[in-house]
Amino acid sequence: MTALSEPAARAVPATGAVGRSIPRPDAEAKVRGAAVYTVDLAEAGMLHAAVLRAELSAARITRLDTSAAAGLPGVHAVVTGADAPALSGMLVVKDQTVFAIDTVRYAGEPIAAVAAETPEQAAAALAAIELELEPLDPVVDLDAAVAPDARLIHPGWADYAAPVDGFRSGNIAWDARLEKGTDEEWSAAFAAAHRVVSDEFRVPRQHQTPLEPHACVARYTTGRYTVHTSTQFPHSVRSRTAELLGIRPSAVRVLVPTVGGGFGGKLDAMLEPMACLLARRSGRPVRLVNSRAEELATAGPRENAVLRLRTAVDAEGRILAQEADVLTDNGANSSGETVICAGLPALALGSTYRIPLARYRTRVVYTNTAPTAAFRGVGGPYVVFAQESHLDHVARALGVDRRELRLRNVLRPGEAMVNGQALDDPILIEALESVERRAPWDRERPATPGKLRGKAVVPLTWLTNPGPGEASVSLSDDGTVLVTTAATEIGTGAIQTGVRQIVAERLGVHVDDVLVSTPDTDAAGFDNGAQGSRTTYGAGNAAGEAAGELREQILRTAADMLEAAETDLEIAGDVVQVAGSPGASVTLAAVSAAAMWSSGPLSATGRFVAQPPEFDAGCVIGGLFSTINATSSHAHAAEVEVDPDTGEVTVLTYVVAQDVGRAINPAMIVGQVNGAVAQGVGYALYEDLRIGPDGRVLDRNLETYRIPTALDVPPIDLEILENPLPTGPYGAKGVAEPPIVPVAAVLACAVSDAIGVTVTDLPLSPFAVLAALRANRR
Amino acid sequence: MNYRLTVNGRAAEVDVPGGTPLSDVLRDHLHLRGTKVSCGTGRCGSCTVRLGDRAVASCLLPVALAEAEPVTTVEGLSAPDGPLHPVQEAMVSCHGVQCGACTPGMVMTLSTFLDTTADPDAGQVREALTGNLCRCTGYHTIVDAALTAAAATRTPREDRP
Ligand code: FES
Ligand code: FES
Repeated sequence: MTALSEPAARAVPATGAVGRSIPRPDAEAKVRGAAVYTVDLAEAGMLHAAVLRAELSAARITRLDTSAAAGLPGVHAVVTGADAPALSGMLVVKDQTVFAIDTVRYAGEPIAAVAAETPEQAAAALAAIELELEPLDPVVDLDAAVAPDARLIHPGWADYAAPVDGFRSGNIAWDARLEKGTDEEWSAAFAAAHRVVSDEFRVPRQHQTPLEPHACVARYTTGRYTVHTSTQFPHSVRSRTAELLGIRPSAVRVLVPTVGGGFGGKLDAMLEPMACLLARRSGRPVRLVNSRAEELATAGPRENAVLRLRTAVDAEGRILAQEADVLTDNGANSSGETVICAGLPALALGSTYRIPLARYRTRVVYTNTAPTAAFRGVGGPYVVFAQESHLDHVARALGVDRRELRLRNVLRPGEAMVNGQALDDPILIEALESVERRAPWDRERPATPGKLRGKAVVPLTWLTNPGPGEASVSLSDDGTVLVTTAATEIGTGAIQTGVRQIVAERLGVHVDDVLVSTPDTDAAGFDNGAQGSRTTYGAGNAAGEAAGELREQILRTAADMLEAAETDLEIAGDVVQVAGSPGASVTLAAVSAAAMWSSGPLSATGRFVAQPPEFDAGCVIGGLFSTINATSSHAHAAEVEVDPDTGEVTVLTYVVAQDVGRAINPAMIVGQVNGAVAQGVGYALYEDLRIGPDGRVLDRNLETYRIPTALDVPPIDLEILENPLPTGPYGAKGVAEPPIVPVAAVLACAVSDAIGVTVTDLPLSPFAVLAALRANRR
Repeated sequence: MNYRLTVNGRAAEVDVPGGTPLSDVLRDHLHLRGTKVSCGTGRCGSCTVRLGDRAVASCLLPVALAEAEPVTTVEGLSAPDGPLHPVQEAMVSCHGVQCGACTPGMVMTLSTFLDTTADPDAGQVREALTGNLCRCTGYHTIVDAALTAAAATRTPREDRP
């Protein structure tokens, strides 16, 4: 375990690198238009690829003939399912092939891919592929898909490999439960309850919509593939591409240029296997880039879901027992993170409030729709939307103040979450007090004439991804420091500022003198990817540990040079000096040169993986993750106005308190909170990736799939709370993901408050709000 | 068809169909890849360039219509090895950049806007930015950058602190 967070290490900030809002060093290249993204790459002899995608969402392939296409001018390669029969899946169920083989399971599923000298020739080749489909009845609705008579989307489901068995059947790709309390306790709680409240919630898909789409350029030489790609997780692309191609992972080298946004949508291989097959067949580098329409129709979004909650409460609104039945849409296969996240709803329901008895079930369901995937916060935003809206319903039913109801149920330090894991250092009350100071609950402000006004406050416990990572740090000949890691900068600043500041602080050098390599899976060891807010925490811990070891090597070498004791030395900028007598010093460049022919070049490797906390393993059945790592505490509050004539919702105030552990770079934290709240506002108010009754994605451009503009994001009043995590670098916790999680909840609760009725569906579009108002009047 | 353009002060001649979007000509023929194409349908603004004194979505502009006036791309806003334009400088110092995919378009929209609106308020900046989508920042720091750049531009360089 890293020693970074020990007080001694924290108490002597030699350069003060940690805690400063330094601007990101990659910003200049970006404002000049000089940063090179994957979409900007070109190689000599590069071919342009295009993908033939199924028009129907469920069909049998009765004829597929590519011979005419292959003979067209400029066409160098055509590949189909016959070229890639292997099965793979994102970590759990292996139910995916690169191309549809015999059966089409979603509209947009790849059927074949071509590579040609120009994009026009590639398009002509697609048009020349002869494809005949015999339609099947698409299975789209979640409840219909789990009905006993539903057509099976994967009739061979039982033959697919999975790490454990017993949690799948038919159209249920995964079934995870969390059960706490005996049947007797359960019946007693319901018998004693003052009130039992039930609700059903429905949420749509939300698309990540990074401005740079999925893109890659692949090459094949002597048995190995080299892939430049726009990804958050290079080692995932490496292993998944290899599995889909039926080769070993080390045969795939992944390099990552500047990444134009991810938000969870770029954790998995998507275009890379197709580009690799075409590169091998053609012997040429192959470029494949999603159009915006392909991006929206096929790049896995946050899943749609149906959540049914039933809660027994006492007369004061204390939760006695809670039941949840959650259906989440896997889409047509398990190529995204939806199955691995099957355990999340139970944890999200039971990590903020005291839930003495629980019966939580989440079924991840196959449908004939595009596969779903991770989006910042994964299931959190909709689970918390459902839980909070439901608790507001409870409060209204009992006549208890909504904030007071939360104070009565919220977890206090030392209490256990629903999985039995002790919540070590929650500051949920402090977070609620922070927003209360800035937005007093009892402050009555009159609504604009003709408008309805509502408010809400939501506390939240959230997590940091615990995954493993490794990083190396070396001293260069000029005294600068190079960090080599596969951890990936996707725009958050976690690498460009966070990791660099941690390394600079640990060594005592200037942050400008810390360089970070770009990801290359041939050069750097495993890193678990930019997901779940883990980069500053996980990669920061690994790089920090390496920097600590490098520091010792530097001091040992300098001690010989200065004929001083190591313990008397300190690194200050670009020199090593005897503490207290700055005259006696050597430059880091000289240390590097001296070490070269004595000890050899100075470098060290650090590693990190979070140790799982203790929990009640007996209560989790089929959950693929069962604990919450590196918890942080949050509160969001908002005030909204609703126009009862148009249904339009205006967010008047938005207040956030976020426990970051330790703020490594406050400006970057502000940036993450602003961006996450903006995405949450979109999710709450209008983002809705619509699926037609035939399973096809209806929104294929940014006109109809509307993301927030500069006019849509309310001012955000953030207070950063520092509640250091003993195992985080300098105390830091994950920052980027949690601020999206409560946004839909707080806005929905505020709208419900304004219109006097629980809102059960997202988004809160003007139509939905008007419908709720009308239903309430009846 | 041959088209003669003036791009970033240099004459350029390309042989492409007249309907080819200017963005493709810039990126694929003139190797000016700072201009991004994120939607291709005129909604996101990442392809914004300056045509004469207007900001235009180059993904929608046929090259045939770009001959009459000089084109400025993000690469032409400041010399590659010279000081940044005040908007670029403020985007860096105000943390207006995250992934950067929207940034060239933002910079072109804002620099064009500030040429005609020297002293805007935040609301005017937001209006000016509605054609430019950013998925990362939530826009607040970009608005800050615009106001900072406007103030810097109003103050002659030698009078700045
Ligand atoms: S690419 Fe031109 S507006 Fe989006
Ligand atoms: S900085 Fe990423 S889209 Fe704007």
